[in-house]
Amino acid sequence: MQKSFWQGIYKKLASPKLTVIIFFFLAAASVVGTLLPQGLGEAELQRHYGQRAIWFITTFGLNDLYHTGWFRFLLFLLCANLIVCTIERLPKTLKVFRRREEQVDPQKLTKCSLNCQFTSKLSRDEVEARITNIIAERFGPLQRLDGAGYMGGVAEKSRWSPFMVYVVHLSVLLVLCGALVGSIFGFKGSMSIPEGESVSEVMLEGSDSGLNLPFQVRCDKFNVSYYDNGMPQEFRSDLTLIRNGQEVLKQELRVNDPLTYDGITFYQASYGAILKEAEVELTDRESGAVRRFVAPFREWVDIPGTRYRAQILRFEEDFRRLGPAMILVISRAGREPDASWILIDSDFHGNKIENYHVRVLHATRIAYTGLQVKQDPGAWLVWLGFATMLVGIGLIYYVSNRKLWVWAAAEEPGKRGTKIVIAGRTNRNELSFEQEFKKLCDRLRAELGQEG
Amino acid sequence: MITSSILLGITTFAYLLCALLYLSGVIFRRRTIMFWGSVNGAAALVIQMAGMGLRWWESYQIGYGHVPLSNLYESLVFAAWAIMLIYLVMEYRTKQRSLGVFPAVFAFLAMAYASFSTGVNSKIQPLLPALKSNWLIAHVVTCFIGYAAFAVSFGISILFIARESRHETSGNALSLLPNLRQLDELNYQMVLFGFLWLSLGIITGSVWADLAWGSYWSWDPKETWSLITWLIYAALLHARNMKGWRGSRVAWMSIIGFGCVLFTYFGVNFLLGGLHSYVNIR
Repeated sequence: MQKSFWQGIYKKLASPKLTVIIFFFLAAASVVGTLLPQGLGEAELQRHYGQRAIWFITTFGLNDLYHTGWFRFLLFLLCANLIVCTIERLPKTLKVFRRREEQVDPQKLTKCSLNCQFTSKLSRDEVEARITNIIAERFGPLQRLDGAGYMGGVAEKSRWSPFMVYVVHLSVLLVLCGALVGSIFGFKGSMSIPEGESVSEVMLEGSDSGLNLPFQVRCDKFNVSYYDNGMPQEFRSDLTLIRNGQEVLKQELRVNDPLTYDGITFYQASYGAILKEAEVELTDRESGAVRRFVAPFREWVDIPGTRYRAQILRFEEDFRRLGPAMILVISRAGREPDASWILIDSDFHGNKIENYHVRVLHATRIAYTGLQVKQDPGAWLVWLGFATMLVGIGLIYYVSNRKLWVWAAAEEPGKRGTKIVIAGRTNRNELSFEQEFKKLCDRLRAELGQEG
Repeated sequence: MITSSILLGITTFAYLLCALLYLSGVIFRRRTIMFWGSVNGAAALVIQMAGMGLRWWESYQIGYGHVPLSNLYESLVFAAWAIMLIYLVMEYRTKQRSLGVFPAVFAFLAMAYASFSTGVNSKIQPLLPALKSNWLIAHVVTCFIGYAAFAVSFGISILFIARESRHETSGNALSLLPNLRQLDELNYQMVLFGFLWLSLGIITGSVWADLAWGSYWSWDPKETWSLITWLIYAALLHARNMKGWRGSRVAWMSIIGFGCVLFTYFGVNFLLGGLHSYVNIR
């Protein structure tokens, strides 16, 4: 009972129908993943969808579909299907590959879908010589399998071609294994390094946690150049890697030209500016009192002449296309803090918090360079898989296994000439082989002189 | 003074003429007309190549200097070229001229859309830093050869279905077409060829993304849709080889596959762009 259950599963896994079904499910799941925005948080879901839709989305993990268990299960199923199909079929392919024919049977040849037979005027020896030549010219050497009273031979091209399918399947497994290894043993994240500063913490992708590198990355200089229409032309960072206080590597990092150190690769991904500090002027709209202070980014400062404190909480370079803006928080003892977006470059009438009108007198910004950081011990498996896949698919397209059988024997005593039977078979590209076979037969008929 | 836009403009109308010649050849069952269709197609191909070359040169004159494969306009032009090239090579190898209508129409439509749509900017634009890589050429060329092969296969599939639905009569407009078995085999060859190039395209894109962003696969809509397309054609190949599917089932799958190609190419940009823009999420 137990055994037949597993046998049943094994049998299902061995079916090519399952492969096609998995392909369709993977495709359908991927469609859903592109139609529904991925990576939406709880709050965004609440804003866009109704209660039932949210239940559906969160239950099936549709907002992070490609990382859900069921999507991974589909990939796993594909791998299992591939492996079981290989176990089932490879021995048969090997058997066919190893089998050498021992004799040529004219009866069997005439049953091939591609065959031709005719009688030549020439003697058997002459037929033998000419046929061998013509076939060698077009098909490669004829392997002789002569028997009692007849000439037999087989010519074959690309005997190994049926194995290419297995090569492609292996490549898919390699790619998926590489991805698995990378996701378990590697990491992916980003770093923002202000010009002149050193950072060793990488913010990991898809989580709030960071990871400390065993060395520090210093951005000595950041450079960006623009086209005359304002589009960025190129940007690059001069980086120095510092390990235990020692400068171990100094290199320029450009887009499309990553840098690898100690198995960790850095990519020039983005750039921007951060706010270092701002000089702020508050005008009390009732009393007209004006207060000025300098606030470093994300540090509480006392507002002079009051018992209040202020902090710049966030900075955006382009807030809703209105230009640079920051969130200023004013905190008063015993009350909820008040906060608002303040436009930095303009004296906007909406720049207010409670009864204060806010003006930014001066903002000191520094450029930062945005790096992607990655360690992926599985990448080489993926590259190997890619290369294998291309070789496999390429050879499937360009090479097919073609086989040709020849049989010739002198006519029965009393009759002149030689009887000839030829047959051919291919595993792919039948039409062009058919044409080739027809041409070959026509040529043989012409050169060997068909009787009658 | 000859500019690239003049040459590409000529190409557009040359493809229209080419499509009309092939069509009249099939309808009136005149092989000579189809022969002139082929001549016209080959000439248009050459003029278009000159046009693309000139555009390349012009981009250096402006100071941007890049291969003309960088935006929607340039990719449409290249798509038209690739479709016609693949078709003409197939025509030469199979000696079948009667399949030219669809490729010529597609080439014309791609050129016309590129030239006349207000949504397609035909100006030579500078390249963003991330696009400045030789992988751009490898990636775009391989993808579009794949797409073009699928377009030709789509044409063959439509003809297959049209031919199958009619009974064999000699007075039929479709009588110059290859027989069903030939169409099916040609279709399969074309899909396999396209599959090889689509795989190359996805792989070059993946290698390039790894160089530029440090991630060979990030499930962005374009990537995902190219994978969906790959899966559909992979399903077709398996169904044909393992389940013995032939004929109209394969033709229908090829049509669905080409729908995926179109969605990968246009749909992701125009429909998913607003909903799920690459820039917003990142």
